[in-house]
Amino acid sequence: MAGTVIGEGLNIEGDVSSEEEVVVQGNLRGKLTTTDAVSVGSSAVIEADVSAQSLTIAGQVTGDVTAAERVDLQAGGRLIGDVKASRLTIADGASFKGNVDMDV
Amino acid sequence: MNGSVIGRGTVVRGNVRGSGSLEILGRVEGDVSVTGELVLGEESAVRGSVTGSHITVSGAVQGDVRGSEAVLLERGARVVGDLTAPRIGVATGALVKGLVRTDGEPALGAPRRPATAMGARSPAFPARPPAAPPAPPPTKSEPREPEGAPEEELESEPPAPPKDAKPAREAPPPPVVPALAKGAKAKKKKRED
Repeated sequence: MAGTVIGEGLNIEGDVSSEEEVVVQGNLRGKLTTTDAVSVGSSAVIEADVSAQSLTIAGQVTGDVTAAERVDLQAGGRLIGDVKASRLTIADGASFKGNVDMDV
Repeated sequence: MNGSVIGRGTVVRGNVRGSGSLEILGRVEGDVSVTGELVLGEESAVRGSVTGSHITVSGAVQGDVRGSEAVLLERGARVVGDLTAPRIGVATGALVKGLVRTDGEPALGAPRRPATAMGARSPAFPARPPAAPPAPPPTKSEPREPEGAPEEELESEPPAPPKDAKPAREAPPPPVVPALAKGAKAKKKKRED
């Protein structure tokens, strides 16, 4: 069970900072920072810069994304923004527009 | 599933709105408004107004709490703000500082009627003084006391207050402003520092 779940139908406007896993299925506008993993569900719409240990995207994210470990853009996922992570996977069927910085 | 959770280690600075239920175990600095059940856990802290259908508070809230169904304060809850709901429960060990009102939303628009009802009642209070005069008769001050009672009534009526109010306004002595020596404030400030 994730520490924080922003469920479908929930709207957050503002900054979210956490020290635990965050699962987003609803809407978030602002900023999302966690030292743990972030999972963006297929129903999620995020307009925010996201910073996390690792990030899985199956929904929509508009904003720059930073992960200490890895970013996984899954099929059906949509990311508009720059990615900064040492590992990145983009699944077939995912949409992505932005720059990638793998810190090489 | 609409079961949202703001976890123990999570801080939200901004407003949280939405349908469905929400459990807050962490901190929220902003308004929280959901259509479903809302649970504020033991270590939760919310600075802002809280709205939901059925609200259970075990943590701290600095702001108004409004439930469309019920608001329950559990042991350990600390609320500084008004509570409004058709049903309100406060457990022993819960702290509340604010107005508590067991009213639904519609009642908020209705205070005018109760107010007029109060106005209708107030004449009923003057009706009591007549009951008091019977006691004083032994002093033979009957004529004065009946007058005294009506005067009390008059005070609550518009014509009388102006007479009473003006002297009352003139009555308070002018405020005495202690003369401070030059630099006294500066000294005070220094002390504070």
